[in-house]
Amino acid sequence: MTTEQQHDTIDMMLNMGPQHPATHGVFRMVLTLDGERVLDVTPHIGYLHRGSEKLCESESYGQVVTLFDRMDYIANLNNELAFCRAAERLMSIEVPERAMYIRVILAELNRVASHALFIGTYAIDLGAMTPVMYGFRERERIQNLFEAVTGARMMHNFIRIGGVKEDVPDDFGPRVRQLIGQVREGIEEMDRLLTFNEVYLARTRGVGVIDAATAISVGLTGPSLRGSGVAYDVRKDDPYEIYPYLSYKVPIGENGDCWDRYYVRLQECYESLSMISQCLDQMEAGPTMVQMRRIARPPKGEVYVHSENPRGDIGVYLVSDGTDKPYRLKIRPPSFCNLVGLAPMTRGSYIADAVAILGSLDIVLGEVDR
Amino acid sequence: MTAQTPNPPSEGDGEPPPAAAPVHRGPPIAIAEEVLNERGERTARLLAEVVGPHAQESGGRDDLPWAVVAPENLVEVARKCRNSSELALDMLHLQFAVDYEDHIQMVYVLFSMSLDRKAILRVNLPAEDPTVDSVVGLWEAASWYERETHDLFGVEFAGNPDLSPLLLFDGFEGHPGLKSYPFNDYQEW
Repeated sequence: MTTEQQHDTIDMMLNMGPQHPATHGVFRMVLTLDGERVLDVTPHIGYLHRGSEKLCESESYGQVVTLFDRMDYIANLNNELAFCRAAERLMSIEVPERAMYIRVILAELNRVASHALFIGTYAIDLGAMTPVMYGFRERERIQNLFEAVTGARMMHNFIRIGGVKEDVPDDFGPRVRQLIGQVREGIEEMDRLLTFNEVYLARTRGVGVIDAATAISVGLTGPSLRGSGVAYDVRKDDPYEIYPYLSYKVPIGENGDCWDRYYVRLQECYESLSMISQCLDQMEAGPTMVQMRRIARPPKGEVYVHSENPRGDIGVYLVSDGTDKPYRLKIRPPSFCNLVGLAPMTRGSYIADAVAILGSLDIVLGEVDR
Repeated sequence: MTAQTPNPPSEGDGEPPPAAAPVHRGPPIAIAEEVLNERGERTARLLAEVVGPHAQESGGRDDLPWAVVAPENLVEVARKCRNSSELALDMLHLQFAVDYEDHIQMVYVLFSMSLDRKAILRVNLPAEDPTVDSVVGLWEAASWYERETHDLFGVEFAGNPDLSPLLLFDGFEGHPGLKSYPFNDYQEW
């Protein structure tokens, strides 16, 4: 004979991180669990806080570029571009056209490299081992090109205030065209392997859903916002550099789930590759650096400039007091802002999906903590 | 032949010499022009309508107009900016503090995702007791920005339920974002 007993349950706190492979860096979250269900998530950040913003106040404008390299270390060139545009806007510098083309080509290549790494590591978060090899392979090819152009694989310091450090090598055009072909094949390979894979769909469809209104309220930007169906892309809505001269589409999702966020990034890779080949067609010879003083000394004033990073909308608010160092430099780190959306996405989902949801935000902790 | 400059006559026991003003070395400081473009003018007109008499000062650069409001009016003005169908500033793009030593300025960069609009609200707070109402009820994004600003600048946000340290470790003393915080004088732990 059995008697039914009424059991009281208590919520369980589960600590994940800071040393955990699925957090992509030094990130900790405390999950409040009721059985398999996640009731709440408390993210803890700051393990990599280096005080970059304060550090910028004691570096000259040229040196600040190197600090931007070290924030989002997966997309260095996009970060350099964000800062240089802010300083140029404040100094009213017109960058030569060839320099803008070089910048856009490098920034879009870096976007593809970043997304390729995301697709690979996201698959590993979901338990698929192979795609990470393909992702790193494509990123490696792009980094080899960066090494030929800038001299460094990661910390380039190539985009400077007023242009780029130097012109690209003579074989740049053919080399990039060959690279685009190879990378496109690699991305297609990952696309075939993952996108409509039964297991992949089961792990990502309907997981971590966030509707457009909540996404805007928590400040999601970039592919994470477009996955929820909001067609906001800085390159289209607030055009900069030579983006108005390029034709491309902005992919958006429908449901705001993990699969949509993944698919938006995948489609962005194809769009970026097509933009690069358009740039190569349009590019003409010319100067790559504007004639200016060696030490940048913007006038006293304030400026806010934002641009599209692989992770989202990076903003740079620059307050200058007229000297050769910024008075205050505030960075809007897209990963930091996207991470606010983790709790609303994760609440109510299964614990096994927590890693899938975190991975789909594609955070870089160097940028979250600065 | 060297010209001998006579020593200045001694003042005797007069008042002490005035404290030396900070000397600016280097070329003269230029001031950036603040000019709004067409998009900015349009938004500035709408912003002036919404903010109305609460604006203490206003201006703008390129496509980004700004208005200074009093701390007590901030939440009301921000709610109007968000709910106005003309402005529809539905995203808090960036919120941060600037330490001007004699006062602290909070800056709110607001964007519209549906319309082509963006604007800045500024609030000047006294340096001794910087307190302002929280906007976390309007935009969830404010929760982390406010924790960060509380960490680094010591600004108090009335109405924010959780102002625990975000970037700094628990028990950290001081506010490293402030200009008065020693920069090179750190210790390892």
